[in-house]
Amino acid sequence: MVNLTRFALAVLAGLAFAPAHADEPPVLGILTYDGFAADWGPGPGLTAEFIKDCGCDVKFIAADSSIGALRKVQLDPTNQGIDIVLGLDTAIAGEARTTGLFVEHGLDTSGLALPTPWTDATFVPFDWGYFAYVYNTQKLAGPPKSFKDLIALPDDFKIAIQDPRSATPGLGHLLWIKAAYGDEAPAIWQGLKPHILTMTREWSESYALFLDGEVDMVLSYTTSPAYHAIADGDPNFAFAEFSEGHLPQIEVAGILKSSAKQELARKFLAFLISKRAQAIIPTTNWMYPVIDMPDLPPAFSVQPRPAKVLAIDEAEITSQSGKWIDEALAAIQ
Amino acid sequence: MASVLPIRPARLVAGAGLALAIAALVALVLWSILSVETAGPSGSASTPDVPHLLRMTLLQAGLTTVLSLFIGTAMAWALNRLDFPGKPLVVATFASAIVTPGMVVAFGLIAVWGRSGWFTSLTGIEVPIFGLGGILAAHVILDAAFAARILLARLDAIPLTRLKTGQSLGLSAWRRFALIDWPALRGTMPGLASIIFLLAFTSFPIVLLLGGGPANQTLEVAIYTAVRLDFNLPGAVQLAMLQMAICSLIILAASAAAPIPSSLGPAGHQTWRDRPGPRLVQAIILALAAIGFAMPLLAVLIDGIGPGLGPLLARPVLWQALGTSLLIGSASALLTLILALGLAAGRAASGATGFRLGVGLPTYAYLAIPAVVLALGFFLLARRLGASPEAVAPAVVILGNSLLALPFAMATLAPPLDAIARSQGRLIRALGLSGRAQFLLVEWPLIGRDIGVVLALSFCFSLGDLGVISLFGTQDFTTLPLLMQRSLSSYRTNDAGSIAAIMLILTVLAFALLPPLFKRLADARA
Repeated sequence: MVNLTRFALAVLAGLAFAPAHADEPPVLGILTYDGFAADWGPGPGLTAEFIKDCGCDVKFIAADSSIGALRKVQLDPTNQGIDIVLGLDTAIAGEARTTGLFVEHGLDTSGLALPTPWTDATFVPFDWGYFAYVYNTQKLAGPPKSFKDLIALPDDFKIAIQDPRSATPGLGHLLWIKAAYGDEAPAIWQGLKPHILTMTREWSESYALFLDGEVDMVLSYTTSPAYHAIADGDPNFAFAEFSEGHLPQIEVAGILKSSAKQELARKFLAFLISKRAQAIIPTTNWMYPVIDMPDLPPAFSVQPRPAKVLAIDEAEITSQSGKWIDEALAAIQ
Repeated sequence: MASVLPIRPARLVAGAGLALAIAALVALVLWSILSVETAGPSGSASTPDVPHLLRMTLLQAGLTTVLSLFIGTAMAWALNRLDFPGKPLVVATFASAIVTPGMVVAFGLIAVWGRSGWFTSLTGIEVPIFGLGGILAAHVILDAAFAARILLARLDAIPLTRLKTGQSLGLSAWRRFALIDWPALRGTMPGLASIIFLLAFTSFPIVLLLGGGPANQTLEVAIYTAVRLDFNLPGAVQLAMLQMAICSLIILAASAAAPIPSSLGPAGHQTWRDRPGPRLVQAIILALAAIGFAMPLLAVLIDGIGPGLGPLLARPVLWQALGTSLLIGSASALLTLILALGLAAGRAASGATGFRLGVGLPTYAYLAIPAVVLALGFFLLARRLGASPEAVAPAVVILGNSLLALPFAMATLAPPLDAIARSQGRLIRALGLSGRAQFLLVEWPLIGRDIGVVLALSFCFSLGDLGVISLFGTQDFTTLPLLMQRSLSSYRTNDAGSIAAIMLILTVLAFALLPPLFKRLADARA
């Protein structure tokens, strides 16, 4: 009701500025994507935990996506009320770095448990997963074991993927194929073409198609099966491990240079990679934690993590991804 | 022609002023994008194949328009002739299709015709719904049902005296359509065609979901890419202007072909039935329409009213979103009605083609500008004006939604107001009625029901879209569609399904209640 009243007032007034009081605790503004700030996402839990001893308040500001969040800070370099951008992933971190909007975090990240040691001075990782095709074990007994396997299947074996131009995992999928096959990537795309039922704008639409039984596999994350096992009590989901290896998606946060609360922001990032915060993330954001966690729910490790890990150079992503997108789209047009 | 029109300088000024204001807003939005300085260089850009995109978009939008108008006319014809129990609900359901979020309709379509859908489960026959055919099917479900609703209003408004004359001449069903119905419909066709073409031309998520790959994509996809991924803002504005130029050409061509609408007088319950043969055809058309149009929506309802509904209803965030959506919907509906009445009355008061085009064209602006460009422009504009984005977000959503609904409202209100000005103009002049008296005594009794349709349309549209404030960063500002999208992107498909069902029920209710209510209000006045 409070929100309704405030909303109605805002409508009537048109322009209403929130009054600031000197005696109120500082508010840490965190710009993130929609799902992170949602009431079932990690946002509320992290806020509750952090404000216990920071002498501050935390406010999550939701953009429609992580790339939307980056564009927002690029468009408005004063960024009033925003101290941290949280949720950028490895595919756009390079571009975010070149904007010069972020400062170094100054934290020790050497002890983090990631596929490769973390040495980035600007961005702090807070969760991660591998891009992978997810399937229902009750409906599909022998999943393909590689891209080549998948391509060799009959044409009525269908997958749903996301457009690399509009969806983060769609771009991740493209980078995954590039990391595995390099110059041969277009041939892989050509082989995938008959199997692609459709290429949706968002991950959510592909995933809904998969749950509706319209496709055999969907491009998602190795952590997706854990959601179904824990939230729905349904253990019948798995990811198809590909012998070419898998590309990790690592989600990161960074402090804006324009922020007047650098110290508080740094404190939050340190908290973000602490045990207290990491314990919240796996079952709210459905990704792996960035620290070793003995009490991680078993659903996250019931299927062994991919044996082979791929990597792709950040600078190359920044300079080449446009070309790679053109090349992939041309191959499946 | 102009001599029969009542002289209404105030209406001319108001119409022209509103049209200018909308055009100025569009110019401001584009200017704010072109003049912004952004931090950091853009990364490597992809290069869209614009000629290919344009070819595919024109083909798809052209087919959608022709199919929707043809099917919509057939449905309106059948609905006008047949009377059956539950007809108001059927009409309301058809009308609600266009304001139902496109993705909801698309998933309803998949639930019926997909590989695991009802039809395939029952018959074992697989229907290829991914590809151009699927895009057309989803667009036609959205657009033909809307066309049928608007065209039905025109058929229902044919004066009884005309019908009695036709009946006494013993016209065949075909001659009746050609001589009596078509003249009443054709004034509405150009506006409808423009709207449907624009909707199809700028369609984005449906095209990607059902298109089956990049072969069938629209120019809108390239614009989205330029704004979001490539961050090439001047390039995005160029593409947006190309899209607006093409859309303007289509609207101008359609408007130039627009005939003056036929007469409008008191309509009543008609008793003129066609012969058994045509009646059978009408019944078949309605049965097919019910299967084709109502089934996907029914699938959404059945999917949404499941065991997940209870826990969802217990969540405060749902009620908060519902309250916000209802407030926004109501405010937008009122604003849309005021804008549409002002513009349509101003347009109807003039006989000059140039003026009529000038007033009409800006009303389509919001359909022609890509949503992602609008969102960007509004954000930059708010920042330039020094306003806090969060504070102005509600006002921007209301304005954006109203302008989005405006072409639909115009298509509903402009033809009858034109018809009144032309058929009753002499009488109004002879009686020396003031503008206010003209509205209260002549127009309101005849368009009361249409006003109800406009309110229902714009209310439902505005439950909807938040794309326009996607950059504003508003955490507490949650509406039903936003909650649905947020649920979908967090694995919560059951919640999303239930929210879709709630929105669908609200929509059908609005269409079932508002038009008859306003008709009764208008009748009471007359």
